[in-house]
Amino acid sequence: MSIEIQNVSKTFNKFNALNNINLHIPTGELVALLGPSGCGKTTLLRIIAGLEFADKGSIFFYGEDTTARSVRDRQVGFVFQHYALFRHMTVFENVAFGLRMKPRAQRPSDKQIQSKVDDLLNLVQMQGLADRFPRQLSGGQRQRIALARALAVEPKVLLLDEPFGALDTKVRKELRRWLRHLHDTVHITSVFVTHDQEEAMEVSDRVVVMNKGQVEQVGTPDELYEHAVNPFVYQFLGNVNVFKGHLDQDSHFHTNDDNRVASASAYVRPHDLEISRIADGESIAATVLSVLSLGATVRVELLDVQDITLEAELSKELSRTLDLKKGDQVFVKPKQMRVFTASGAVVAAA
Amino acid sequence: MLLRLKQHSVLPGFHLALGYTIFYLSLIVLIPLSMVFFKTSTMGWERFWTVVTEPRVMASYRITFGAALIAAMINAFFGLLVAWVLERYQFFGKRFIDALVDLPFALPTAVAGIALASIYSSNGWIGQYLEPLGIKVAFTPLGIIVALTFIGLPFVVRTVQPVLQDLERELEEAAASLGATRWQTFKCVIFPSIFPPLLTGFALAFARGLGEYGSVVFIAGNMPMISEITPLLIITKLEQYDYAGATAIAVVMLVVSFILLFLINLLQWWTGKRCR
Repeated sequence: MSIEIQNVSKTFNKFNALNNINLHIPTGELVALLGPSGCGKTTLLRIIAGLEFADKGSIFFYGEDTTARSVRDRQVGFVFQHYALFRHMTVFENVAFGLRMKPRAQRPSDKQIQSKVDDLLNLVQMQGLADRFPRQLSGGQRQRIALARALAVEPKVLLLDEPFGALDTKVRKELRRWLRHLHDTVHITSVFVTHDQEEAMEVSDRVVVMNKGQVEQVGTPDELYEHAVNPFVYQFLGNVNVFKGHLDQDSHFHTNDDNRVASASAYVRPHDLEISRIADGESIAATVLSVLSLGATVRVELLDVQDITLEAELSKELSRTLDLKKGDQVFVKPKQMRVFTASGAVVAAA
Repeated sequence: MLLRLKQHSVLPGFHLALGYTIFYLSLIVLIPLSMVFFKTSTMGWERFWTVVTEPRVMASYRITFGAALIAAMINAFFGLLVAWVLERYQFFGKRFIDALVDLPFALPTAVAGIALASIYSSNGWIGQYLEPLGIKVAFTPLGIIVALTFIGLPFVVRTVQPVLQDLERELEEAAASLGATRWQTFKCVIFPSIFPPLLTGFALAFARGLGEYGSVVFIAGNMPMISEITPLLIITKLEQYDYAGATAIAVVMLVVSFILLFLINLLQWWTGKRCR
């Protein structure tokens, strides 16, 4: 079941929440809508669900125009950040809710409901908790039940609004992996909203990066990470060091003032920044500000000659060989960088 | 059990608090009420039974309990509606209406009774239009219901309102996304959540209606056997220095009210766990 979003715009009290969005979500994929808060990702998800309606544009489910359909008739499963479980019902009744609400002619028998709910509880690994009430469950368990409840009606599309947002880090990581695994078993077209780039990268087949009501870039996690099309995407997908400089005639980037043609910035990931004790032609002098051990890696903060703070990530062994200390003079060189002109266009990937 | 409670409590002072509660309740509620029973016991079982089963007294029970029950039911329905409108919609003058709800609490009940009686009498603002239709409100049992409805309105609104406020919109959205119709959403998702406070509000309005005197006597007409309420009979007996007779009727009211309120509280434990 593919989803097609065409020219969708939405305004709230003169605030442009969504600005002419076009998006194709292929059948069976798990797609993340990623962006900072207020970028319109939740609004877009709610418009896909039919909980909100676009001012302009259309939504198609598998080529069928569903723009005017209400959430009731769209056959979507929706999972909320705060679970939205029915408090007065047991886990079993929560999952069975969608089945019991069907028109009498389509409603399964009690026996069918029982076996269907049992299957779903098995799927979300919550068998044995059918008689509990939501308040007796942990956050992670509640979200699994919410997911089982959404899947019970066999939706064409599964939509998740920051599903792990209210959980603590450990449970969140566990549930992420589990959701990925679940999707590999069920293969339902799914869209989930998140502001956490790590979560988007880890779980989804494809990431849609959004900002200020617009789609900045769509691609697989790898594509986005390696080939960000503009500074926003590059910065949003991970920590980054920015070097201000210029381009020469051959579109090569320099931090010095020679041969300036156009101003540009070079973006370098912390793990792409090489630290060395010895100067080399292209390296930049810097002072070590702090050395912080983060388990497997070591994070080094440096101050370069332009008085800009840099961040580098080294492996434990490398840092041991270099034996960096606060105040040491070192030289840094980017192993890999991405250069954008002042207008945000990509120049080259050196 | 008591000891365990004390050990696990974050705030200390369980024994002190419990002791004070019992002392306070005794002083304010139990001792005065026990005097009613004490006074009654001076008259002997046979006389007691004759007094409390007198036809005029029996008629007054019917009027009092009946009118209070109907008024409480009206309040449960319309109070829920008012609470819903106040919580769910934004409109001009909402704060004003919100404040208006509490007015029956603040108004001296006699003022309410006089106001209602003059509006609903056959030449009053509303009464003059009802009269040709054959509906008489003032000085009939209907008038009692109107007065008790007026008095009891805030109870339901104010008990249901905070619960409606806490009810997440997401619950309704979740129900709709699962295919529930609007009616099913209300019946299976919203109503079970607001049923307990609604019942509490109903019980409070009902209890208030049973004891209401001030507003009712002005609008009821107070005709024996037709529109005479039990509290008025008690006052009448007191004015005739028949203290034992007055307390005897009071005892009956007290016991019946207690049983009814207790039953309503029991009802709260029963809530629909499952929806069809």
